[in-house]
Amino acid sequence: MGRILIVDDTMFMRTLLKNILFSGGHDIVGEAADGAEAVARYQELKPDLVTMDVVMPKVNGIEALKAIKAADPGAKVIMCTAVGQEQMVKLAIRSGARGYIVKPFQAPKVLEEVKNVLSA
Amino acid sequence: MIDEDVYRKLFVEESRENHENIVRSLLLLESGEDQQTAIDEIFRSAHTLKGMSASMGFDAMEHLCHSMEDVFSLIRSGRCEVTVPLTDLLLTCTDAIEVMLDEIEAGGRPSDEVSGSLVQDLRAFTDEEVSHEPPPLHPTPDSEPASGPVYTLSVAIDPASAMKDVRAMLLLQNLDEIGTVLGTTPARDLIEDGKFDGPFEIRIASEAGEDALRTVASGPETSLLSLSGVPEPGHPAPEPARGEKSREIKNIRVDIQRLDQMMNLVEDLVINRGRLEQIARKHGIKEFDEALSMIGRSVSDLQNLMMGIRMMPLDRIFNRFPRVVRDVAAHDGKEVEFTIEGGETELDRGMMDGLSDPLLHIVRNAVNHGIELPEVREAAGKPRKGSIRLAARRDRDNVIIEVADDGAGIDPERLREKAVRQGTMTPEAAAVATDEDLINLLFEPGFSTTEAITDISGRGVGLDVVRKTIESLKGTIEVESEPGRGTVFELMLPPTMAIIDVMMVQINARRCAIPITNVVEVALARPEAIHRIGDAETILLRDEILPMYRLEDMFGLSQRCDTLVVLQNSGRKCCIAVDTVDGQQEVVVKPLSRLAGSCRGISGITIPGDGEVVPVLDVNTIV
Repeated sequence: MGRILIVDDTMFMRTLLKNILFSGGHDIVGEAADGAEAVARYQELKPDLVTMDVVMPKVNGIEALKAIKAADPGAKVIMCTAVGQEQMVKLAIRSGARGYIVKPFQAPKVLEEVKNVLSA
Repeated sequence: MIDEDVYRKLFVEESRENHENIVRSLLLLESGEDQQTAIDEIFRSAHTLKGMSASMGFDAMEHLCHSMEDVFSLIRSGRCEVTVPLTDLLLTCTDAIEVMLDEIEAGGRPSDEVSGSLVQDLRAFTDEEVSHEPPPLHPTPDSEPASGPVYTLSVAIDPASAMKDVRAMLLLQNLDEIGTVLGTTPARDLIEDGKFDGPFEIRIASEAGEDALRTVASGPETSLLSLSGVPEPGHPAPEPARGEKSREIKNIRVDIQRLDQMMNLVEDLVINRGRLEQIARKHGIKEFDEALSMIGRSVSDLQNLMMGIRMMPLDRIFNRFPRVVRDVAAHDGKEVEFTIEGGETELDRGMMDGLSDPLLHIVRNAVNHGIELPEVREAAGKPRKGSIRLAARRDRDNVIIEVADDGAGIDPERLREKAVRQGTMTPEAAAVATDEDLINLLFEPGFSTTEAITDISGRGVGLDVVRKTIESLKGTIEVESEPGRGTVFELMLPPTMAIIDVMMVQINARRCAIPITNVVEVALARPEAIHRIGDAETILLRDEILPMYRLEDMFGLSQRCDTLVVLQNSGRKCCIAVDTVDGQQEVVVKPLSRLAGSCRGISGITIPGDGEVVPVLDVNTIV
């Protein structure tokens, strides 16, 4: 399946997502706790897909998405979002995000979204 | 949905961090400093809390955090002002969150009993405003001409989708990548705003072919009903390629108990290294010595590493204090500027827990009894706003924490009166007592608790407990005060308690360990320099008269104690007479068992390599 980089500022969410993705047979190649780290880890790991939290300290998910897209226009990034953030996600999609998942995560939905983006 | 217990711990820990961040930022916001950062931080933390609690199914907490997030979304966009009632309400919300976290930590599930009404209150603030973020600008449409055959797609978004507008937009965006969307019914703007019921139609010019269109148009929550009018059977997505294996995780969280276990093992290693060293000395095998010194280095490194891992910045406890100061000051009608310095200074995690309460007590006292009312301050020619400074710094091997206020200070005369009245001192003793002696009375159990606390600036309340706690952490506490100018409490703490350097000495042929940080020097005792003053012995050492102790009540009277060890603790010196000095060693100090009770003069025991149990001198109580 896919090599995935998980970006979220809480270990709680990363663990949650990691377990869901593991259960879907994916490989978690790295984790990042903020946008700046995400960009650096992306360059270094070249994952197949990134799950990107939107609200994070320092560099937020949208800025990180833009930076990753600038460096690698083919990058596949899925935004992790929550109800109430529709405008942010739309902005992310305009900036090149390929999908989104909504908290609280439901494993089948997450896996479906990931699978869909990976296969595109 | 998820195994709660696995995540509960992680959830509580990270939620607490975010909760603290909100409180800190709220106070920052109120102080008027760097408002934008504070607002952003609160918004972010509330959002994070919301997401995490939703994932755990803690609905009450989720709703509360959601409402807080809404309020901050308005504040952030400048459509709501930060007022005192709003700050109060938000702080009450953080209190509720803290209560919920306690409940969750204890294995419970918070109800919306309290939070329900808070959510209502928060709504009152948001309802005044229409909460819709202005939509970001639409990018200019691609100017490239449409090419390829034109298809018509009929697409439905799953009605259960949490964000059907976003899903629709994502679909249109993806279609844009393989063709040119010529038009939609309803209009694209409406679809992207979620203003559609049921299926919608898309006309697209594309050279990618039907299959590509089918794939894109039948993603998650999206079903393609028909393509160019032909009804669609289901269309599975192709399997993605398998990626290569590699995994890297930068940080892990470890249960503190496991760290303690590791620390115990390291301590055992240190003890056994000492034992091996003694065996090596006895046999004098060169190769063995070499191997041993290698092991010794590794053990030292391991030990330092473990210490480092256990260290945490003091901010962890300091962060609670701004809120305490604010609340106490508000309650007392005082104005206080509270500053924190050196929060990054690190201390052993084990000590951190013990330090929190005493420090809280001192800080609270500083507001309660140190800082005067604004009118009183003005009358005394001081600024209305009092200041309290909490500062930490590293001083050689110790960590110094200071709590300084510019309040009323402690009046020694009042203490003198009180000491006599309470019978703590005889009138004669009180008459000759120095200011320092008098102030130290505050640390005596029961002193001042029998009377209204304001009578003597109330600093006696519980200070005995504070000192006891600090001493149990092998630290010291001192207070300096100037009437009218303020008071400074200074806490000195060793950064860690477990492993220390000691000087091994013999007193009356028994071994005893003295923490090296307390040792000033070793000198030879010349009998003619020893003088008796009353019951006590003193010694003249290079123009300095030092009290001298023989510790015979502890070790029995020694016949040949001609070596002096000069000790120092918080600026005061004394010396003890010992038979011999054996050398310096790194040892693990184990606390005395509860069964042994507290033993004055002994802070713990250590077991050097030979297996003998050696007491560690508590210089604090001797000096």
